[in-house]
Amino acid sequence: MSILEKLENVERRYIYLLAWVFVLFPLLFPLGLPIPIGRESKAWKEYIENIPSDSTIIVSMDYGVSGMPELYPMTVATMHHLWTDTASKNFKIVVIASWNQGPLVFDTLLDQMNPASTYGVVYGEDWIELGWIPGSETGMAALATDMWSQTPKDFLENRPLSEYPIMENIKTAEDIDLVVSFETGTPGLPEWLRQWNTPYGTPFIVGCIGVSVPGMAPYLASGQLDALMPGLTASGEYEILIGRPGLAVSGLDAVSMSHLLVVLLVVVGNIAFFASKSKGVN
Amino acid sequence: MSEKLRSIEIPIIITAICTLLQVIPYYFNIPVIDQASAIERDWMLLIVNMAVFVGVISIGQVHGRKIMRRRDNWEYSVVLMVALIIMAITGLPIESIGLGLDNPIYNFLFINVMTPLGSTMYSILAFFITSAAYRAFRARNIEAALILVSGTIVVMSNAPLFTSSLPFLITWKNWIFDVPNTATMRGVMMGAALGAIALAVRTLMGIERGYLRGGGAD
Repeated sequence: MSILEKLENVERRYIYLLAWVFVLFPLLFPLGLPIPIGRESKAWKEYIENIPSDSTIIVSMDYGVSGMPELYPMTVATMHHLWTDTASKNFKIVVIASWNQGPLVFDTLLDQMNPASTYGVVYGEDWIELGWIPGSETGMAALATDMWSQTPKDFLENRPLSEYPIMENIKTAEDIDLVVSFETGTPGLPEWLRQWNTPYGTPFIVGCIGVSVPGMAPYLASGQLDALMPGLTASGEYEILIGRPGLAVSGLDAVSMSHLLVVLLVVVGNIAFFASKSKGVN
Repeated sequence: MSEKLRSIEIPIIITAICTLLQVIPYYFNIPVIDQASAIERDWMLLIVNMAVFVGVISIGQVHGRKIMRRRDNWEYSVVLMVALIIMAITGLPIESIGLGLDNPIYNFLFINVMTPLGSTMYSILAFFITSAAYRAFRARNIEAALILVSGTIVVMSNAPLFTSSLPFLITWKNWIFDVPNTATMRGVMMGAALGAIALAVRTLMGIERGYLRGGGAD
């Protein structure tokens, strides 16, 4: 086998090994590369900064543990931003999940962020967690018409909603001013839009994994989606914008190196392909 | 009488009524229909929750059989069954005896087993994508060359390593995202929506019977 043929058909295990080395290296020895700010992270920050005072916001954890590497950093950064503004703008934040592992992921976030002591927000007054809403799109539809009957008790303290002042004026989708969804797939934005945005006009902003980004484009162009946080790179940019570099920024060197490897492999593969072709190998 | 009860028309009528109960409130504001629709949604949620038990029973049957017959890799099934039973029992919502989501064993398994396993499964994608990009991104013809160029631009535009020195990549990526990608995705969505409407109409009219009796003739 000639060297060109070998380059054209590198064994999978060597590519995996290279990928592993390229990702591991910057995690062990951070490169500290500059991070240019893209339009999506800017738009996300501006949208959150411009949320009107006294707004009631649903944060929906529409992902499980498998989505954590890409979505967890943006969830932490967004919750930091929202909770920081809660006191000055009197936000009411309702945390739900249409994925069954969502509440457990949010538990991890609570352990890390400790909102009561860090941001001074009061559970049951400034924010509340209602837990998993089963039933996918049906559950979303049912939640829109009657939130209390879908989740008679909260998730964290398991007490009736009537005991929490925050829930006094939150009954249906009409009482919600914004939904922030972090999602990896179905149920996700299309289901939310069908059951909340179209009938009630509820605005949406969404943080999603990289592979979902192309599918979000039509919703962004139509105005049904107001802002999009597309994957880890934008999360890192957002962390820098809000002055709180965290998990995403620390992972961006690894993203850069893994993307560099992909580009190198594509270039090498095509050079070998054309060289073989010109020699009549293929 | 029993023949009439077994008639294929009955499930078709039930399907039609249930479907219309969900569709009509979307377009018209009729309080009685709205109420019926809400009740039906509650029923659906109950059925969904019951389906979880069916799933657990099914897993038990499949892996139980595998373990009993010592089929290939039956050891993994033992691990799965043990984890399933422990998570199910410790996660039962009976706080008075220390069970539930605050149970230390449940939390330990979630944080130290499920979370790293879930992250690992997702991370494996990076290896597959790298390998797939290397094999698939070959400029064999004009169409493949277009995908190769646009794909490479998008990959590079997502890495600060490239965008910090070649900022025009971000502009190029934005154009790809806003114009060809949006146009294509719109086409895909509209095609899928038209297909879904056609399927719904066929189902409502009783022409599509794939969900009944395995799709056989009545």
